Amino acid sequence: MRVQLFGTCLVDTFFPETGEAVVRVLRHFGVDVVYPKGQTCCGKPADSAGYSRQARKAAEHFLSIFDGADPIIVPSGSCASMIRNHYPELCKNVPTLTERAERVALNTYEFSEFLVRHLKAHEAGLKGNGRLTYHASCQLTRELGVRTEPVMLLQSLAGSEFVELPQADRCCGFGGVFMGKLPEISMSMADEKAEMVISTGAGTLVGCDHGCLMNIADALTRRGSTVRVKHIAQVLAEAL
Amino acid sequence: MTDVSLLERFIENVGKVSAEAFRASGADELNSLVWRIVGEDAAGKVSVYCPRVTEKEKAVNIPPALLTDNYVSASVCVEEAFAAVAETGSLIWSSRSGKPVQGGLLPAHHLAIVSAEHIYESFEDLFAALGPNLPTNITVESGPSRTADIELTLTVGVHGPERLTIIVV
Amino acid sequence: MSRDTAPIPFRENSARALNDAALRHALVVATDAFVRLRTAAVTSIPFEDWRARASDIRMEVLEGLPQYVERFTEAATKVGAQVHYAVDASAAREVVASILTGHGVRKVVKAKSMVTEEIHLNHHLEGLGIEAVETDLGEYIVQLAGETPSHILAPAIHRSRKDVGKLFAEKLGVPYSEDPAVLTKVARKALREKFLAAEAGISGANFAVAETGSIAIFTNEGNGRMVTTLPRLHVAVFTIEKILPRLADLAFFARMLPRSASGQPLSSYLSIITGTRKPGEATGAEELHIVLLDNGRTRIRDSEFREILKCIRCSACLNVCPVFRKVGGHAYASTYPGPMGIVLTTLLDGMERAHPLLDATTLCGACSEVCPVKVPLVNLIRALRERKVEMGFTSGAEKHAMTAFGAAVGSPFLFRTGQAMWRVLWGLARHVDRPPLNRLPRPAADTFRRRLR
Repeated sequence: MRVQLFGTCLVDTFFPETGEAVVRVLRHFGVDVVYPKGQTCCGKPADSAGYSRQARKAAEHFLSIFDGADPIIVPSGSCASMIRNHYPELCKNVPTLTERAERVALNTYEFSEFLVRHLKAHEAGLKGNGRLTYHASCQLTRELGVRTEPVMLLQSLAGSEFVELPQADRCCGFGGVFMGKLPEISMSMADEKAEMVISTGAGTLVGCDHGCLMNIADALTRRGSTVRVKHIAQVLAEAL
Repeated sequence: MTDVSLLERFIENVGKVSAEAFRASGADELNSLVWRIVGEDAAGKVSVYCPRVTEKEKAVNIPPALLTDNYVSASVCVEEAFAAVAETGSLIWSSRSGKPVQGGLLPAHHLAIVSAEHIYESFEDLFAALGPNLPTNITVESGPSRTADIELTLTVGVHGPERLTIIVV
Repeated sequence: MSRDTAPIPFRENSARALNDAALRHALVVATDAFVRLRTAAVTSIPFEDWRARASDIRMEVLEGLPQYVERFTEAATKVGAQVHYAVDASAAREVVASILTGHGVRKVVKAKSMVTEEIHLNHHLEGLGIEAVETDLGEYIVQLAGETPSHILAPAIHRSRKDVGKLFAEKLGVPYSEDPAVLTKVARKALREKFLAAEAGISGANFAVAETGSIAIFTNEGNGRMVTTLPRLHVAVFTIEKILPRLADLAFFARMLPRSASGQPLSSYLSIITGTRKPGEATGAEELHIVLLDNGRTRIRDSEFREILKCIRCSACLNVCPVFRKVGGHAYASTYPGPMGIVLTTLLDGMERAHPLLDATTLCGACSEVCPVKVPLVNLIRALRERKVEMGFTSGAEKHAMTAFGAAVGSPFLFRTGQAMWRVLWGLARHVDRPPLNRLPRPAADTFRRRLR
């Protein structure tokens, strides 16, 4: 099986180790990974902020690089949702793009979703250690409906203990532009999330979206916490 | 013949809205129940308002010394409901009965009598039975008056009764 | 439209709210409780089916709104009500005022109505020497304190029992107590006097029924009953989209509204009022005036944002909103706060005043998930943000950043250049004393793309 990998701009710029982990995990399950050149950003920051012209530009560029022939894997719930749920709507008035947008949307998967549904990675007997907890990002849960897959993966790790995060799916306060526009509220939300994480006694917080993880990590640092913050791809790569 | 499970559902749901439900199988049992329940209210301060419009209301036996025509100052209102709805444990009061609906709203204790054959399963059933010409006021009463406006602390007996007792006959 | 077009200082308001420890505690307690109650109530019903049906019924009304207004007017008039159509807030205030002054009314009791907040009715009546007392306990507290409500369902949730104790002691001359049960009894006594002395009752309506010309009022306290059965004159004010087609629809919404709002299968009281007192009845207003208010509803209904008009004012979206939970209703400085408030306020008051509210969300989607009539709140807010950008209510800096972003996403070269610049700027941004600039993550020395080579 071959897949196309959309790294996402956050992974490319700030967290390349996550990208490497994604590739390692997929290859472990016998999947060929192609990384189409010239990737940029899915356009979500512009779309959320009401700049549909720029969002459409991002979509056009994405669709010129990804054709949807092979599954497109995305290590981010918000980006995957942008492509799957918003690209068709965004491109509906551009005749040259609509068909491709629909095709791509049908073939785009968030990383953990793909691992569970198509690769059965939760039955692969992976190993972990320590106590883990999980933050459920907003678009991942509410727009993609991916709620159980990340938990199944984490719970399947022999040797590690999974503990549920209270209010796991309550927003962490990142919200892209929100963090910049209303930083006081954003920080307060992140602080509350960090408190919940600390209350679980977990050594590692896991998530599927680096935007959220960045924000929560910052709050944990502010509290002087030593809880590690990792993308699920990294945890799984370490579990192989 | 009344549906026993409908009655049981009604009584169960009455309990869920913090009202009390009793059953009486005839005028005598009704009377002694009314007397006993009214007697539970603050001794010496009981004053009963009873509209005496329906047959059952007329049959209720309250010592004249305790009776009052003034529902504003009465401590308990004893009256028969127009109907009830099992789904929510609700009583239905209708202005078509010729009684002041507000009579049951002001006293601290509302003691309602309802006939088992006037219990409907749902509001759809009730509305269908009421037909196209509605009375001016239909009041649906589901438990005592309550609020949680202060610190979300539930307190009972705001503008309406703090105690709602229902006797099904 | 509000005459005040100065942009709502949401950020300043919310910063103040975040520093108010008592408010923050109250908000957490209240919203957590409401969410818990609502969740328990909807797990035992086929919620997704029901909300699809509820949405359909509401859309049916919006699609045929003029006909439903006509049908309701006809039916209500037939049963003795006098129906007035008010195009805007000012017209509605005048109609109500002239009804009251025409009857020489000086004392009015009110049952909770958001719409009368929207049109600033109380203030107008006070100016005419008419006392309009709020009878919902939360509204009464807020009125005594000279404030506005901070939550649709629990207007005084921002006030602690100590606050209320002090307020009652000061304004009502009663001994201080902080026991909610005692305070409730104090209010019961004070308001009962007002109920009995009132010459008119003003209410809103949770719903109106076109088929029968009825209006429906849900309360837990019983003040809805009081206001509509004690005085001989009743004035009901509500906006046109509150209409439901049939009585059977009311039965259905009677299951949805209380569950969504407070987790109850039904509120303690539901009054269904159909016209004026008829021969042989001992209950019912002798004179009933219904003021059907438009105030922008037709305009909204004709726009791409019409689905906000499905809203049944349950406040489920407020309680689940992580931003509302932090700052409370007053930060929005509008009649309607929270997610539905962001949308409705922008549409009613205009972009100039309301655009800061469009920032008051992370678009997390919790609101859209709980809405009992499937108002697509996230999509509506996003569409309004587009409007905001088109109308130019964004900063120059943001526009430039987005232009650069637009260029970068279409050109891998520019994108890489941007990433390189980021690495340079990051070192500088660390020293800026302004979040989140000083909290931004460190760009990796090697992009993922480069590592793959």
